[in-house]
Amino acid sequence: MSRPLASVSGLAGLTVPGSYGAKVGELGVTIAERTGLGIATVAACKGKSEALKAAARKAYGVELPERSIVASGRDILFIGTGPGQWLAVSEKYANEELARELAGRLQGLASVADQSGGRTVIRISGPRARDVLAKGLPIDLDPRVFPSNGAATSTISLMGVQLWQADDTPAYELAIFRSLSGSFWRWLAASAAEFGYEVKPG
Amino acid sequence: MTSQSNRLRDGGLIDRAKTVRFSFDGETLTGYQGDTLASALLANGKKLVGRSFKYHRPRGILTAGSEEPNALVELRTGARREPNTRATTIELYDGLEAASQNRWPSLKFDVMAVNQLFAPIFGAGFYYKTFMWPASFWEKVYEPAIRRAAGLGRAASAPDPDHYDKAHAFCDVLVIGSGPAGLATALEAARAGARVILAEEDFRLGGRLLAERYEIDGKPALDWVRAAEEELASLDCRILRRTTVFGVYDGGTYAAIERVNDHVKLPPAHEPRQRLWKIVARQAVVAAGAIERPIVFGDNDRPGIMLAGAVRTYVNRYGVTPGRRAVVFTDNDDAFQTAVDLADHGVEVVAMVDARAMPSVKAKEIAAKAKAPYFANSVVQRVRGRQAVKSVDIAAPNGEVHRIDCDLLAMSGGWNPTLHLTTHLNGKPVWNADLSALVPGALPPGMSVAGASAGQFGLAACLASGRLAGTEAAKACGFKPKRHKAPKAADESTEASPVWQVETSRGKAFVDFQNDVTISDIKLAAREGFRVPEHLKRYTTLGMATDQGKTGNLNGAAVLANVTGRYVGAVGTTTFRPPFTPVAISALAGHHRGPDFRPARLAPSHKWAEEQGAVFVETGPWLRALYYPRAGESPQDSVNREVANVRTQVGVCDVSTLGKIEVQGTDAGVFLDRVYANTFSTLPVGKARYGLMLREDGFVMDDGTTARLAEDRYFMTTTTANAVKVMQHLEFCQQVLWPELDVQLVSVTEQWAQYAVAGPRARDVLQRLVDPGHDISNEAFPYLACGEINVCGGVPARLYRLSFSGELAYEIGVPARYGDALIRAIMMEGAAFGIQPYGTEALGVLRIEKGHPAGGELNGQTTAHDLGFGKLLSAKKDFIGRFMAARPVLADANREKFVGLRPLDREARIRAGAHLVPKDAEATAKNDQGYVTSIAYSPSLGHWLALGMLARGPERHGEVVRAVDPLRGEEVLAEVVPPCFVDPEGERLRV
Repeated sequence: MSRPLASVSGLAGLTVPGSYGAKVGELGVTIAERTGLGIATVAACKGKSEALKAAARKAYGVELPERSIVASGRDILFIGTGPGQWLAVSEKYANEELARELAGRLQGLASVADQSGGRTVIRISGPRARDVLAKGLPIDLDPRVFPSNGAATSTISLMGVQLWQADDTPAYELAIFRSLSGSFWRWLAASAAEFGYEVKPG
Repeated sequence: MTSQSNRLRDGGLIDRAKTVRFSFDGETLTGYQGDTLASALLANGKKLVGRSFKYHRPRGILTAGSEEPNALVELRTGARREPNTRATTIELYDGLEAASQNRWPSLKFDVMAVNQLFAPIFGAGFYYKTFMWPASFWEKVYEPAIRRAAGLGRAASAPDPDHYDKAHAFCDVLVIGSGPAGLATALEAARAGARVILAEEDFRLGGRLLAERYEIDGKPALDWVRAAEEELASLDCRILRRTTVFGVYDGGTYAAIERVNDHVKLPPAHEPRQRLWKIVARQAVVAAGAIERPIVFGDNDRPGIMLAGAVRTYVNRYGVTPGRRAVVFTDNDDAFQTAVDLADHGVEVVAMVDARAMPSVKAKEIAAKAKAPYFANSVVQRVRGRQAVKSVDIAAPNGEVHRIDCDLLAMSGGWNPTLHLTTHLNGKPVWNADLSALVPGALPPGMSVAGASAGQFGLAACLASGRLAGTEAAKACGFKPKRHKAPKAADESTEASPVWQVETSRGKAFVDFQNDVTISDIKLAAREGFRVPEHLKRYTTLGMATDQGKTGNLNGAAVLANVTGRYVGAVGTTTFRPPFTPVAISALAGHHRGPDFRPARLAPSHKWAEEQGAVFVETGPWLRALYYPRAGESPQDSVNREVANVRTQVGVCDVSTLGKIEVQGTDAGVFLDRVYANTFSTLPVGKARYGLMLREDGFVMDDGTTARLAEDRYFMTTTTANAVKVMQHLEFCQQVLWPELDVQLVSVTEQWAQYAVAGPRARDVLQRLVDPGHDISNEAFPYLACGEINVCGGVPARLYRLSFSGELAYEIGVPARYGDALIRAIMMEGAAFGIQPYGTEALGVLRIEKGHPAGGELNGQTTAHDLGFGKLLSAKKDFIGRFMAARPVLADANREKFVGLRPLDREARIRAGAHLVPKDAEATAKNDQGYVTSIAYSPSLGHWLALGMLARGPERHGEVVRAVDPLRGEEVLAEVVPPCFVDPEGERLRV
């Protein structure tokens, strides 16, 4: 019997750690895949928004955001993606575990769907991170416009993307559809090359 | 190598310490860093640069900017060869290679120049009138011949090896142009705290200040430019040099092209050649300057005739004189400054010809200063010299004609504000009689104009209007600008009264140099009734060249006005459209070339399938395995083997690409009852059902299976092609039609890797994968059962007993991260049972053999009744499409309905798309009774078969019809049969 099944990243074979692109001056961008994350969509049930928020406050100490921003709860980030809709991301509740955890705690208040296998999450950081993203993302990431806990659902180079700011390095994390990992990676490598980039192990 | 014979001894913004070698038409020449190709050619005494489009007339350099109509060259060689680049905008770099174009065998001796002899018959509309008959000759004979004779440069034939970038930028204030007005704007806006982008077409900031000898604050204007540049760098201002804003779009969106590496031989590694910017600006200030007008007179296109402002640019900016004996011919004061600038550099000015009826005091002063004879109220009426000006005839008001030897004729008919960007959203320029020019009319929201673009021609006026524009733009963005000291400058005299054209001159008088449109073409067009600029443009091609008539359009309007007895303002001009200057297709494509033309979605088994040598096919955005050929197999062999293996043993196919939607909530069942024609609220948990979805208009939209995983949780699948459309449809229903329902939708297409395992041995394979404790026997897990299980030692999975092939089959789903491992596991465990992968081609054959409708049948024109699904239309509930599906026309018994077709000659192949006509009827549209939607070679039956839509089809089983394919000239006699060819009772899938 074939067991256990290996978990394979959508970027398998593409993200080889090392330095790439132009090698002039300061390193422009650092790129790392974030593997093993729990990812799930959470959608409030009809008329249960307030109860859901109270449950989330109690369980994770978080105020579920009604805007396109990230709210950090205990061990889980909640990113507002629409009215009554969130993308939950967690390191602690890895892979399929997060959806199970949330479905258990939010039973009857929200519908939860596991997306941990369907997304590739990439962290892009460094002084030129915004310049790289500007080559695809039609959203202004300038700190005067985009808050440090900002998030966005948009497209990059014709590919759907969910993006949130991770810190003020600046660092951004991008969730892309797994099936588009290869196309996205080719866009990213081509766009980051002129600034010089380093691929770090996930 | 020639010396730079026309380089002035000193002056110019060039670096004389840095010699740059380049070649033109194979001849090696030198210039200096800071030159353009045009200035370097002039420095080397090269006046003849190209041949014209239609008449192959010798042409030189007319301007010093992006409006250049004549000096078009092929730049670079091989795959990087770029035709029709303007020598006036190409920065000189070491190793630059350029060639003249549109000439054969050489620039000096061009065979096609014979066209000039036939000029009388090459007038406006010539092609349309002459090559009318026979019509069939147009494509084959006339057009290719004309294209050879009247082309311009040659595009590269190899793929562009360079990388092109796209980028987005955002700002409070976008300033377009960095002349005095643009710099003043940018300074005021940035000082107020606004986020500014300053875009400059040139490689140096300064605009017209680079070409003139103006003073600001009592010092050379360039000192002020330098200080402004430094100050802007210290503020929040991004300066984009070599960047042309070429288009204006809705919502404050501007398109710009940055020539990142056009000024070097090869882009440095990892850098793009060009970058396409999409700039979103809250406010934009157009400070793009002005473009000088030529005067229309006979042979005004001879090499050596140049715009007066351009002459000053070459002298002052590049330290080059375009000639040694100069004549200035103008109708305004500004152009006479050219005489001063030339004289100051020791160039002899042999005549100043003023076309205005009233002599100008200023002009007389200048003539005295430049020691040049001044001809008031006179015109240049003849030019001698074909490949270079040799002399001109000046006609004085008393009838005397003065022949004057010269090698440079600087002309000016006044200036036109560069207002193109103000018209991209349909703004109409308005006539300003004082300036004798069109100035911007109503502006799009958020845009203002400053400086010469706004008709403010003097330097002081430019600075003042720039300061005002910058302040106002910052205020509009919510900033509170403080007052800053104004730079001091004088306004030069711009007094002008345009004469437009010299009626008495001899020779062809060009209005549009690039398209070879002359006064007589415009007169002819007017005589033939083309009296509106838009009509004139189409008939004569005036303004339709790559320069969009930047130097010629208003002169054309003036000629038309003259002929039709109107004033220029009443005639107006055509609409300018993006792009302001030509943009390379490569730049518009950016990263989206070749395999990245669009993103490709790869299925979870993709890498494994590649290893198996699969041939892939694009299905919507996905790449799917089409078939898995083995050594020596033809595509058909491979498909036949894959199909046969499913029917006799077991096969596996990646079906992850189907749309997958989780429908959750207490009203999920109600919701599905409304979006599907059949009922789902009664579906037991642990069961799946085929579902048919109609559009609002009653036609079939999509189909798929939906499984009930829990009381309040369904898992819907859609076809691969319609996945996005169905999700949008459901979201519309949820959010707009029935917001009161407790239902939540989320796409989980990406989450699940799903494989169909089909064939008599399917259960044997699955049993070796499923963890102990799950009973998948036929009794415990019958056809259409579904459930959440674990496989391969605890991996969460979903198992569905569904069959598209008609065989015993399962679909198994695991989180996509396990997809690669699962396909390998299935293949390994299935080896003992003869498992083989099958691709979408085999999938298609299997479903055609079973008569399942798919893409060809669900074509948007078929109803549930047409497809034999009438019994699925629930009579017990309402659903989308129910009412409209009951329209009489959709219930018409004569409608084309779903049938199978079997060729009478078992060797024959019915063609997809063939028309069905009665056996004894003629194959005419009148007798057309339907069409073939799908065809396949059936390895199970050993012959070709087909599915189609046939009028009253189900009543005609057994009848023979003709499947006529007029496209290929084939026809086949076919028997009408029920659509299901294999196991019509469906016994195999229930075992």
